[in-house]
Amino acid sequence: MSKLNISRRTFVEGGVGLTVANFLPGTTPLAFAASMEERTIAAAKAAGAADVTGMIWSPYLVPMQPVIADFKKETGIGIGGVQDISIFDAPQRAMAEALSRSPQFDFIHIDSNMIPSLASAGYLEPLDEYMKKADFKIEAVADYANFMTYKGQTYGIPTDGNVHIQYVRKDLIEDPDNKKRFADKHGKELKFPETWEDEFRIQQALMDPAKDLYGSGSLRNRANGPTWWYMMFYSAGGFTFDDDMNPTLNTPAGQYALEIYLQEKKVAHPESAGWGTPQMIPRIAQGHVVTCQYWDGTAKLNENPAKSKTTGKWLYGLVPGSDFSGKRIHRSISSPLAAILINKYSPRKAQAAYLALWLGSGKNSIPIVSDPVNTFNDAWAKEHMTSEVVQKAYSPAAIKAIEANFQVVAPPTYLTGFLEFQDTLGKNLSEAYVGQLPAKDVLKKTDEEWNAIVGRIGRTKLKQELASYKAVMPKRNVPA
Amino acid sequence: MSVAVVSAADDVQPHPSTREASRRRAIKRFKWSILSPLIALMGLVLLPVLFLQLYFSLHQWTVYLGSWWDADWVGLDLFKEVLTDPRFGWAVVRSLMFATGSTIGCFFMGFALAYLMYKPFRGQALYYIIFILPMLTVPVVVAYTAEMMLYQSGPINDAITRIIGIEFKPAWLTNPHIALPTVMLLEIWNWTPFSFIIMLAGLSSIPNEPIEAAEILGASKWRIFWEVQIPLLRPVIFLALILRFLEAIAEFPKTWALLQGGPGTATETLPVYIFITTWQYFQISKGAAMSYIVMVMMVVIVLIAIRILRQEKQTLDMVYGNKAAGNSGGVP
Repeated sequence: MSKLNISRRTFVEGGVGLTVANFLPGTTPLAFAASMEERTIAAAKAAGAADVTGMIWSPYLVPMQPVIADFKKETGIGIGGVQDISIFDAPQRAMAEALSRSPQFDFIHIDSNMIPSLASAGYLEPLDEYMKKADFKIEAVADYANFMTYKGQTYGIPTDGNVHIQYVRKDLIEDPDNKKRFADKHGKELKFPETWEDEFRIQQALMDPAKDLYGSGSLRNRANGPTWWYMMFYSAGGFTFDDDMNPTLNTPAGQYALEIYLQEKKVAHPESAGWGTPQMIPRIAQGHVVTCQYWDGTAKLNENPAKSKTTGKWLYGLVPGSDFSGKRIHRSISSPLAAILINKYSPRKAQAAYLALWLGSGKNSIPIVSDPVNTFNDAWAKEHMTSEVVQKAYSPAAIKAIEANFQVVAPPTYLTGFLEFQDTLGKNLSEAYVGQLPAKDVLKKTDEEWNAIVGRIGRTKLKQELASYKAVMPKRNVPA
Repeated sequence: MSVAVVSAADDVQPHPSTREASRRRAIKRFKWSILSPLIALMGLVLLPVLFLQLYFSLHQWTVYLGSWWDADWVGLDLFKEVLTDPRFGWAVVRSLMFATGSTIGCFFMGFALAYLMYKPFRGQALYYIIFILPMLTVPVVVAYTAEMMLYQSGPINDAITRIIGIEFKPAWLTNPHIALPTVMLLEIWNWTPFSFIIMLAGLSSIPNEPIEAAEILGASKWRIFWEVQIPLLRPVIFLALILRFLEAIAEFPKTWALLQGGPGTATETLPVYIFITTWQYFQISKGAAMSYIVMVMMVVIVLIAIRILRQEKQTLDMVYGNKAAGNSGGVP
């Protein structure tokens, strides 16, 4: 080993040089910054000021605006213009952008289940480098941050948890007459449902169509139906594909889920086959529903006396599970999970990425997820679970339910071709629900159609993605 | 009605004078000076799209597996796939049912209103404005308004129940057997004014002489309607039916905004299925093949329509003793 000759002068000069270099644009990580928010600002400043453009639905954007204004003040990075597109229409538009390799939008706010499809189409910028420069972490509840990853890279920053929680009408379930009637009929106590079978019994017992009160408020329309079916299917121990990417819906777990899914027709509103959120949310908040699984943001609406007739009348908890597989499994779902993704072809992708990080920090997202009027962004970060502001917006019980459901939350088919898998399943489930297709044919037909989709996209490609999909699945069967 | 055939001999014209020939050349030059830029513009805008679409329909492009110019050549396979796809077949059936039903509905409603309105009366302009208002309403707005009105316990069913005194509660939008007819009714409401305007123009342009002659001969109003007005209106009627049918086949905004093809697949018409295939399944190539097939269907319908309209025009020319059908282009 040779002896190093370093003079005191050289040592001091080197030290000063390193210190200066640490503050130069592009040098990372910025270890001296105190908080994640400050580190994000420092990294963003290095990228330079810019007004970015994006595609986002205005109900999501409105509560973000004060937070974006703060970032603009700190870094010069703000929003120059947006295209206001509903989260349900955004996937088609985003895919058109991807196919044309358009640099028009710097960011898109979209269902994160589109990450595999958009990444496969070459549209998405991985965010890991930006996160590294700002020493940023997605501090989500449980393993929820995994929903932002695909093939080991991070492609999105969540703004909306959108996890399903269980809603049960407290006033009805705790009513002594109802309790007695239920116990007399079923020989069981009337209490918060633990399984799908429990829930169906409660729905049957407490519904009263003459008073416009229906047992279930869960969705069964073509667009949303699969979201509910997946909860039942996963909780029965099912998974969508085997290791060779052969569809495995037409299995005992699938048949069980289908039976549970279709039997709710008996306790749902006669028009449920065509109802989506615009129809169902008012019915939940106005007291026409006994129980349902629904997106967590509806709790904010229920607990807002200016908008709801059922404030204080709800119990919130874990979605029902199933013993079908021989062990109790609960599976909630998050879809659409709104996240900010960055366009790889954008000339301002760095600025857009740092803006996304800024909006996705636990602290900054508190006002976004607790807005009592624009309730689209739902709680998802660890910090939200303990924040008084958030607890006040949702109620402590709802926050507890959200935290529990996040521990067992699963995605729908998290693969390239998500929309095609989803719509094919939705079409067949909907046909069965309205009687156009015999129930026995639903899963067989879906398996065949999914097989064709796999063939089109490429079995080998999808087999490579299967690990990413499995990595997003929850590790627990019941919350801790 | 028998259709008189104009023989070639009838069309023989005397040799034109030099002045007449010069006038015809000038008219021809003028026609082409107007038409050429339009044809060039159409060529520039339309042809590349048609060629690109043809390229996609002959190449299997999987959007996740590379650029479109690297897509694999598959010849006519996609056309075969589309033509043997039962879902496409059902979409064709639904679209034909929808277009036929709504065209007939629009026509009868529009004709009835036009018949009430074609003779001047006090306040006619106000009624005219009221009758054309639905056509000025954006289809998506029609859809969302209808959605609010057509709930099972919504205002429409409530009003009908009050009128007939018996509970009337069809699930307009969620019963698969009546969802398509419901959209058809909305289409009729939305587009009756179109038929109304065409038929009003037709009725107003009928010369008075044949009607007055029939009245002098003692014909009843009913007989004048059937035997004078209807025959004279036939070209206009066909035009109204054909234009409306072509529009109705392509109806998308109301069907999509209201039902997205559901419940089940009850309202999955051709435009809806093409949209789902192309922008939900991202099967751009299959969508292009479908579009080509639909385009061919439409071209056939248009050609048949032009033939019918020509025949009707010729018949009218015979009625008016004008044998030079070619003078006005043959098509109204």
